[in-house]
Amino acid sequence: MASLIKCPHCGVRPREEFSVRGDASVVRPSPAASDEEWHRYVHIRENPRGPYREHWQHAAGCRRWLVVHRNNVTHEVYDVMDAATVAKEVAQ
Amino acid sequence: MTSFRLSSGGLVSRAKPLAFTFDGRTMRGFEGDTLAAAMLANDQMLVGRSFKYHRPRGIVTAGSSEPNALVTIGSGGRAEPNTRATVAEIYQGMVATSQNRWPSLKFDIGALNSLLSPFLGAGFYYKTFMWPSAFWEKLYEPLIRRAAGLGRASFEADPDRYEKAWAHCDLLIVGAGPAGLMAALTAGRAGLRVILADEDFRLGGSLLSEAVAIGDQPASEFASSVIAELASLPSVTLMPRTTVFGWYDDMVFGAVEGVQKHVSVPSSDRPVERLWRIVAKRAILATGAEERPLVFGGNDRPGVMMAGAVRTYLNRHAVAVGKRVAIFTNGGSGYRAARDLAAQGIEIAAIIDGRAASTNEAPAGVRVMRGGSVVATRGRHRIEALIAERSGYDETIACDALAMSGGWSPVIQLACQRGGKPVWSEDRQAFLAPDVGPQLRMAGAAAGEESIAVCMRHGRDQARAALADLGVSVPLVVIPGVEGETDGSFSPLWYVPGARDKAFVDFQNDVHVKDFGLAQREGFGHIEHTKRYTTAGMATDQGKLGNVNAIGIVAGMGGVSPADLGTTTFRPFYTPVSFGALAGAEVAERAKPVRRSPLHEWAKKNGAVFVESGLWHRSAWFSLPGEKTWRESVDREVLNVRANVGLCDVSTLGKIEVFGKDAAEFLNRIYSNAMLRLPVGKARYGLMLREDGVVFDDGTVSRLGEDHFVVTTTTAYAGEAMSHMEFAAQTFWPELDVRFVSVSDQWAQMSLAGPRARDVMSQLVEDDISNEAFPFLGVREVALKGGVRARLFRISFSGELAYELAVPAGYGEAVADALMEAGSKHGICPYGVEALNVLRIEKGHVTHSELDGRTTADDVGLGRMVSGQKPDFIGKRLSTRFGLTAADRTQLVGLKPVDRAKELKAGAHLLKEGAKPSTVNDQGHITSACHSPVLGHSIALAMLKSGRERFGEKVVVWDGLRGEEFQAEVCSPVFVDPQNRKLHL
Amino acid sequence: MSLSLQNRHALEGHISGFSSFSNANHLSIVRGVAVISILVQPQRAEDARRALATIAESSARSCGPFEWLIVSETRSADSLLQEAISLDAASVDQSDGRVVMRIAGPDVRRILGKCVAVDLHPDSFAEGYSANLLIARIGANLARLAGDCFEIVVDRSNAVWLFEELVARGREFDLSAGFVG
Repeated sequence: MASLIKCPHCGVRPREEFSVRGDASVVRPSPAASDEEWHRYVHIRENPRGPYREHWQHAAGCRRWLVVHRNNVTHEVYDVMDAATVAKEVAQ
Repeated sequence: MTSFRLSSGGLVSRAKPLAFTFDGRTMRGFEGDTLAAAMLANDQMLVGRSFKYHRPRGIVTAGSSEPNALVTIGSGGRAEPNTRATVAEIYQGMVATSQNRWPSLKFDIGALNSLLSPFLGAGFYYKTFMWPSAFWEKLYEPLIRRAAGLGRASFEADPDRYEKAWAHCDLLIVGAGPAGLMAALTAGRAGLRVILADEDFRLGGSLLSEAVAIGDQPASEFASSVIAELASLPSVTLMPRTTVFGWYDDMVFGAVEGVQKHVSVPSSDRPVERLWRIVAKRAILATGAEERPLVFGGNDRPGVMMAGAVRTYLNRHAVAVGKRVAIFTNGGSGYRAARDLAAQGIEIAAIIDGRAASTNEAPAGVRVMRGGSVVATRGRHRIEALIAERSGYDETIACDALAMSGGWSPVIQLACQRGGKPVWSEDRQAFLAPDVGPQLRMAGAAAGEESIAVCMRHGRDQARAALADLGVSVPLVVIPGVEGETDGSFSPLWYVPGARDKAFVDFQNDVHVKDFGLAQREGFGHIEHTKRYTTAGMATDQGKLGNVNAIGIVAGMGGVSPADLGTTTFRPFYTPVSFGALAGAEVAERAKPVRRSPLHEWAKKNGAVFVESGLWHRSAWFSLPGEKTWRESVDREVLNVRANVGLCDVSTLGKIEVFGKDAAEFLNRIYSNAMLRLPVGKARYGLMLREDGVVFDDGTVSRLGEDHFVVTTTTAYAGEAMSHMEFAAQTFWPELDVRFVSVSDQWAQMSLAGPRARDVMSQLVEDDISNEAFPFLGVREVALKGGVRARLFRISFSGELAYELAVPAGYGEAVADALMEAGSKHGICPYGVEALNVLRIEKGHVTHSELDGRTTADDVGLGRMVSGQKPDFIGKRLSTRFGLTAADRTQLVGLKPVDRAKELKAGAHLLKEGAKPSTVNDQGHITSACHSPVLGHSIALAMLKSGRERFGEKVVVWDGLRGEEFQAEVCSPVFVDPQNRKLHL
Repeated sequence: MSLSLQNRHALEGHISGFSSFSNANHLSIVRGVAVISILVQPQRAEDARRALATIAESSARSCGPFEWLIVSETRSADSLLQEAISLDAASVDQSDGRVVMRIAGPDVRRILGKCVAVDLHPDSFAEGYSANLLIARIGANLARLAGDCFEIVVDRSNAVWLFEELVARGREFDLSAGFVG
């Protein structure tokens, strides 16, 4: 895992300032969505090798939730975005 | 005792003699000596016994790769085992002790293992101690551990301090030898932020051991002048005694600095070691090269040393390792040693050169045996003679030291710690670092370069290249010429045929050539398998000396090139790092941050006994004089709250203010119960679910204004609840206008509970707080007499008439004092979290003991709090799924022991009467239990299958852990005031 | 019942064994500071940033893209909260919930380097810059007031921990400590 993460709001920070939640690709279904969709959202996660998008919170910094796009094999971090920005893009 | 110290020369301070002891014997050295140098000067070649065979072993190297000279330094809590004598600086009064010998270093019982050695080959332990398996833990392992092994850890606490720090730079240079110094000079003169780290206490690397001249100065003086210039540059940080041990992601390097390991009495103002994390934009590894031993019969006899180490002791420490030194070499290094020894007048027995021919020249009058080899050595605690063989003829040559050189291996470990594999170079006959990108470059001998002149140029050029990456161009540093260097090339010789004694590859783990053959025959040919099977390279030196020879030998056995075989994997740490350094200051009471309630001092002066609760220290109970047990105090506090009134610190609850025009809508989606129409000035109990329908946390929600709420969370989930809300706001519903701020620290919050609570509270509050004006679940801002604004909540966890009063934290103690004074005539007492727990169990209120990540709202009797009306909230959809609504789910119940003298305990399981304890028969378990002073017996809350239908039934409480089994009666979880009359008084 | 309620500083009773003079490296615990939290909607962040810089006798510390702490040694929290109204900001008095520590001296970066992972070189952490970060393993706000002068705004419950940590890390540089204000 990366030692340093570049928060889009705070700059380069040590990993210890962040907490990791997990897969950022899943989107919360609407209340009317099918049981299968809800089951997949709550219980099913891909566990890909390589590039991966995760929700990280800059808990000891700006407290923003971020989407960290990184490679879990090489540990390279491609980019880090504010999760609200990403959520709004997805919603559109 | 013979002195091996030369009468002049070296880089030691002869004006500063230092006395130390080795195995109780007092010896003398000089400031600037390593322990090994000083021991050699005192004719102490024997330093330890080997790991497995207990063979006598001597000093082999003059650096961090030392496999043999592991000693314990210091005594008591400062005793540090397995310290390499070759890097430890001596200080006045140092106490050094040899290891792995009994009863003494010279006479060691364990050496009998050597006679048994035919049975002690590789894999011996694996094969021998397999059966019967029960014997392993009780018999074999303790025996083996006692016989084998290294130094013993002290059982006393370490009295010294350690700490950690971060550093940042443009260019990190690891190694302050010829290449590192020129790299530092190049970047430093250009004004870049440079860190130059070296494990040695004196910077200069190999220049300190060289007899050549650079410019018109001796090499060591040249190094001193460069270091003086570097020290004068403000952007350059010199870090001697600092081992860079690891290269981690994102150009973060781990390093450990010896701050006070070299002083007699460390100052308590400073740590003894400091662990650094160094963030570098670019790095240069100028880590030099390690000399390879030759693998020949008897090569572990004390007195057999690396040729380069012989030169270091001679030139740097002015110590001759012997009076008559023999040399066995396959390259130029042996001739360099011969030249330097001859220059000091040391007799050279012979140079045995494994090569048939070479261009190297021996000093005048020294005999060279070309194409010869050493096949055995003689001597007990120090070599007395070697047996050389050439063309089938043996010759015994007397000597008291043997300098050996099998060539050089670049030190590339750091460059390979992030997954890069070393690359075999046919040209250099060595493994080189792979290309790991422009962020990290190798320079000098670490890159396979040979001569000092070339290394210096290479260091400079690599620094220029690194700086060019950063967009900085720097002037060329002019490097003076080097005089007196000779050809240092070598031909590899993985092992010397014809050995008449064991030929060791890994000295520290006692691995010899035959072990590799066995590994091959038994199918452990892959180099990673060979390593595990033979344990070559698995000792504390991590095979710094032996690994390349091991690879060469195994490759040779398989008829392949080392390139085909590859190497084992390099991982941090490069050299051992003490646990003290890794822990830093994070030990004992500083192990983790401690949070302090604003009422801490109030609690302390009222006699609180504190308990660790997460990061907090909370008041557990308040002892009164004469109370002998905690139960006495807790029972008194509970009864007093029920009868009169008590005051409890609840400041540790999480307090989050929620703002924004969509705040109500947001809370309505976060909590399972309805929040949209909560009136201003009212509080409501709130339940949060996880998305899978299970309860997440509970607390209160109070509406302070149309768009302004304050919510409380449990102490334990304060951080998680905040993150949960932030996640929902930022990723689920970013369109909502809702903002949070934690005000947990702003307010001192106290619970005043008991039938007399209003009598007490009204004395402090200006406002009307009568039951009519301020009923149950009221919330309002109030003015305290004395002018402080506060928030008053009429909420109750105990089931009594109760208020929570929040005052600005700084006033907490004064207000608590005032409440105690106002309450004195009403019989007030302070109560702690133990009494709070009893009160809530008696009232049937749940905490995270019941909300354990498996229970639903309905399970704990809060099913009405899951709104069926709301279109959406977190956890709604899955809260109704199959399984979470099953009829046989466990449900919250109360329990009373049938025999009232019995004590219910949390964790005990419940069984139907007559059922055998088994997973299938399990009916549930006790979640919380206490002695109820109100009822006079033990009570419990439990989760019981279909529990709400089973009030009155008798179940068996089975406690396998404590060996108890007795009957209990199932009852309502509300033991006190089931009609809630007291809440509305 | 008549009351005279005294406000007690979180570090009251914790600063002892120090002389009243200050050494070259000194840790000041600033008493009586007004601190308020300001939170704005994302679309108002730029306006707020500009407006906050103009609030008299105070300094705005950045906590995140839409959140600040306003710190003043001379103004009251109430007067600062008034200013927030015009910004359409959520604002909360945190004066009792925060402790302000100022650390200054020639070795201040070396002391803070033992507590903070962030590079404090002026090129990357310039005068006037502030941010929330981990310091001695707890979250706090760090601001550079001048070259060798930093100010830390820390949660009250963590103040004793941080104070003790800074004092311990500063021992080799003769860091002194005392209240001001």
